[in-house]
Amino acid sequence: MKMASSNLGDDDFGEKQAAEWALRHDRGITATEQDEFYAWLALDPHHSEAWAEHRWGWEELDRLAGLQTSLSAIPDPELLRPLSDRIIRPLKWVMPVAAALILGVFLWNPKEKLTAQLVDSSAPPRIETVALIEERTLSDGSVVSLNRGAEVTENYSKDERRVQLNRGEATFSVVHDASLPFIVEANGVAVRAVGTVFNVRLDASTVEVLVTEGQVRVEPQSSLGGEAGALVGASQYTIIALLPHANEPRVIGLTADEIDERLAWQPRWLDFTKAPLSAIIAKFNRSNGIQITIEGSKLADLSLSATFRSDNIEGFVRLMESNFGIQATRIGENRIILSNAE
Amino acid sequence: MPPHDPTTADWFSKEVQPLEPAFRSWLKKRFPTLGDTDDLVQESYARLLRTRRTGSIACAKAFLYVTARNLALNRLRHLRYERPENGAEMDTSHVVDDTKSIPESISHAEDLQLLVHAIQSLPDRCRQVITLRKIYGLSQKEVAEKMGISEHTVEAQGAIGLRKCIGYFRSHGYGRRVRK
Repeated sequence: MKMASSNLGDDDFGEKQAAEWALRHDRGITATEQDEFYAWLALDPHHSEAWAEHRWGWEELDRLAGLQTSLSAIPDPELLRPLSDRIIRPLKWVMPVAAALILGVFLWNPKEKLTAQLVDSSAPPRIETVALIEERTLSDGSVVSLNRGAEVTENYSKDERRVQLNRGEATFSVVHDASLPFIVEANGVAVRAVGTVFNVRLDASTVEVLVTEGQVRVEPQSSLGGEAGALVGASQYTIIALLPHANEPRVIGLTADEIDERLAWQPRWLDFTKAPLSAIIAKFNRSNGIQITIEGSKLADLSLSATFRSDNIEGFVRLMESNFGIQATRIGENRIILSNAE
Repeated sequence: MPPHDPTTADWFSKEVQPLEPAFRSWLKKRFPTLGDTDDLVQESYARLLRTRRTGSIACAKAFLYVTARNLALNRLRHLRYERPENGAEMDTSHVVDDTKSIPESISHAEDLQLLVHAIQSLPDRCRQVITLRKIYGLSQKEVAEKMGISEHTVEAQGAIGLRKCIGYFRSHGYGRRVRK
């Protein structure tokens, strides 16, 4: 494989290669490439972070799959050509009326995504975070947090505490008991702990183990002839490829921020239906360090329907500014005052 | 593997479960050598739910089919221990064929809009590659054929596009958590 040289200099942190690796993994890497990949990961501590971010971003774009269903079944590479380009290409406007309406609402007219009206005081606002992770307490008191879709089976015996991760991702907080090892098994890979906190993510082709407290021993798929296994300590993680000829997994150190980011799979979406601005802001203020206040009761009663990330204050404030003639005044780093622009 | 909260469970039974018979028979037809497709179906559901929990999805059906296709190809590759030269990249165009369903609640989905803007901000060639790959679910090979360029170019343009999208995400505070 050729490592194309980056023209971004030293602050690049391997992001170009990370993007290239994400694309190679998507189309399927060869055995040689797999070795190169692990070598690349081990080359620089920034690489694993860049890799995680680019792989996440690549998967994130799948949310748009099927966006065209109301338009046409024929793949159109120009579906998302920016509006300014389309004007000088009038033929591109020839599309079914319904399609044009949908695209118009969704893509080009940001005002349509929020509806403002005086609040209907008879209907209580519906504010909720969408979905929750599930927490389960095992019979020894150890706690498992299951990411959505994850599934575990408890198989405890008198000699050991064995838990099968059937699918998905879970964090285990293990009660200390030196006489009863705690073993998480994910597709043949065993993660052995005594008393510790760690996260296991099972994908189609890999098992990822991240340790936040204590230490675990990761044993490769026994059926494939692995024996010793790697020790993973606090603030470290490792990826085990589920391939017959896989290399010894490498253990990679992580910073506190990187750990937070990897474990940030808790729900963060706020869904508002005809909620008054004051209630929306109260919700944001509860989950963020930055505090928003409103000036004027008329503004507080403004009613909105929208979906936001609970941590995307910037996006929320920008929308308020661009759609409702609201002025945002920033005071220091942690305070924003919203007022009517007039 | 039913979803845990009532809202999602309701959505799942109305929007996803009715797709299952057609989805299963499509999988069997496209990937006859894989045998048991039950795992694939469950894994695809799991990813659909996981992704929906952390944001919006334009069209559950398309997402499901693209996910299953990727998982199936991945599995085929592992069966052969390395990337096959040809054969595994099956034709998956027209996955989203004649459906008339309106994409699920995209009109107020801020996050989807941001993803769309990220793609719109790309240079032409990148934008076309990413659009065909992600919105229409075409494989690298299919995109290469459609655009009349090499697979290598498709991959390179995809990587450039991905990197620029990440840059766009960062500058708009879109991430697995807020960036400072």
